[in-house]
Amino acid sequence: MPLHRRAFLAASAASVAAPVVIRPARAAETVRIGWIPALTGASSAPGIGFNRGVILAAAEINAAGGVGGRMIEVITRDTQGDPTKAVNATVELISRQQVAAIWGPVNSGEALATTPLIARNRVPSLHPCVIDSLIDPAKYPNAFRIAPAGAQWEAAVRHYCLDILKVRKVAIVGDTTGYGTTATRDSVADFTRAGADVVYHDLIDATRTDVTADVLRMQQAGAEAVIPWSVTTGLMARLLNVRGARGWDVPFVGHPSLGSGEVHRLLDREAYWDKVYLVGYRSCSYGADGRLPARMQAFVDRLRGKVDLADTTLWWVAAGHDAIRLVAEAVQATKSTSHEAIIGYWNTLTSWPGLYGDYTWTKQEHNGYPTEEVVMSVASSFRDGAYALAPGYS
Amino acid sequence: MLEAVIVSGVAIGAVYALIGITYNVMYAASRVMSFTSGQLGMLGGVFGAWFILRLGLPVLPGAVLTLSACALVGLATEIVAVRPVLASLEKHLYVLSTLAFALLIQQFVAIEWSTEPQPFPRLLAFGDALIDQKFWLPLAACAAVIVALEIIYRRTLVGRAFLAIAEDGFAARALGLPERRLRMASYALAGVIGGLAGFAGGELMLAFFANGPLLSFYGFVPVALGGLGNNRGAIIGGLLLGLFQQAASFLVGGLFVSVATFVVFIAVLLAAPQGLFGAAAGRRV
Repeated sequence: MPLHRRAFLAASAASVAAPVVIRPARAAETVRIGWIPALTGASSAPGIGFNRGVILAAAEINAAGGVGGRMIEVITRDTQGDPTKAVNATVELISRQQVAAIWGPVNSGEALATTPLIARNRVPSLHPCVIDSLIDPAKYPNAFRIAPAGAQWEAAVRHYCLDILKVRKVAIVGDTTGYGTTATRDSVADFTRAGADVVYHDLIDATRTDVTADVLRMQQAGAEAVIPWSVTTGLMARLLNVRGARGWDVPFVGHPSLGSGEVHRLLDREAYWDKVYLVGYRSCSYGADGRLPARMQAFVDRLRGKVDLADTTLWWVAAGHDAIRLVAEAVQATKSTSHEAIIGYWNTLTSWPGLYGDYTWTKQEHNGYPTEEVVMSVASSFRDGAYALAPGYS
Repeated sequence: MLEAVIVSGVAIGAVYALIGITYNVMYAASRVMSFTSGQLGMLGGVFGAWFILRLGLPVLPGAVLTLSACALVGLATEIVAVRPVLASLEKHLYVLSTLAFALLIQQFVAIEWSTEPQPFPRLLAFGDALIDQKFWLPLAACAAVIVALEIIYRRTLVGRAFLAIAEDGFAARALGLPERRLRMASYALAGVIGGLAGFAGGELMLAFFANGPLLSFYGFVPVALGGLGNNRGAIIGGLLLGLFQQAASFLVGGLFVSVATFVVFIAVLLAAPQGLFGAAAGRRV
């Protein structure tokens, strides 16, 4: 058959255009979820934990036939904890990958940079970051929190100190990072409003090699409990070591990092971890019978042999799992991956039964985690990613 | 409470003093202020934890290997960051080269070791409370270094050769002294002293990659206070700095420690530009 110039040009044009035409059709085959954790670098521990839940949820949903026959495709971009990389990843996920929703970032510093950007593009967004200002349905109608806000952590600490431990005089300290400064300031204001006597509050440089003088000041001020707000495990361990060495028998009640294995490894003595209570969650806490709540226990039993919990925290894995399920269920219920449909669906959820918590969102309130689920845990009770409830809870 | 402030202040002050001596030993041999001094202190802690805790070596071989490794890093500093810029000291290129090498060391440790503080082994089987070994070991190390340097500088031929190149490198070369080898030996010695600071202060500071800049910073203060090249001044300056830091932390709070420290530091330098114990050396011409 002779090859005419017109036929050749038509065939060439078709071959060039074909992928362009086909690409949207291929994209429609999967439900694309953007996932922007820090998987490497200094602040990667939460991201690694969340990621285990993400992978498991996607695998389970796909094994069960996907969402209306469409497979879940999680597109992961490692930010290394760097806000600039998080912004670049967000741009790529929105403009090139055209994801249905974004899960993450999981560090507040990164989320502060990406949240306005995601909001401008009206992409449904889930994140677990605690900074209160990251959720504002008026400014960011697309952003939903699936973990407690900082204020809920502080409320749990305050309730435990004032109502369960019955202490009135507290010392509140934080590190000099943005988070430490904000959390300390807010905590001092909350305790003071609640009628407690904040006998000491200060910020400590996270790299300080010796905190003897700081602990002496707290002791001299007559503190009956110490409330530390810092993600720096070295600082937490140093404070506990000085408390232990001085035989000062006051409880430490505060940030979840108090229960991390890193803090444990840095303690001079095992006993220095006694009377240390960290922010935890009822859904991920062992009760008096040594078992988790039924729903979580079933999940943990399902994880055995598939997901390692010894070096991570159960709530990270559970929240990662919940995030993927929340997107999948929105697509399933609305039969759409349009951004408006997913946001609209999430706005109607009432006590949606996640593993980590029962989320409730409305158009006006995007802090979905129930405050009563935030409790205090015993730092030294860590087992398989979870802690025992602190004494005083039923 | 006063005794706790004094004990912890003297302990951290002894570490600063040793880093100050590290600066001085490097400076004496090359007229270069090497900003790798603090990193050597950091490496003393990291190598110690690595050899003893991770590799499971006994304390003594662990200590010897730690100090040897730090001596090698000291030598590398001389070869990589100091020797290439010695010809143009007046341009102060060593600031850039030693800072760059220090940053290289720190990033390498962050990647290969950890970005989180790691535990440091307990070196001796005794010592508790106020006389806990983590408080007196840095002081003991400081005393040992003073004695050792006195012996080396006053009683040995090599030590006198060190002093000769410190006094006048050109004249020392004219007399046939192997200046380059002596400079390398000085840097290795500085590596050992810096490593000992980190090793003895390991329990206090933990094996943490971020200790490097902190020690470079606070180790420089006693050098400036005590007078450049004056080891006795560095020791007194270091101990005073440690005590001042702890006292300020106790009296005005941790947030103001750095401010208080540098207000005093600047005030002292304004009053005595040569340092509290230093004076411009008179030279016979």
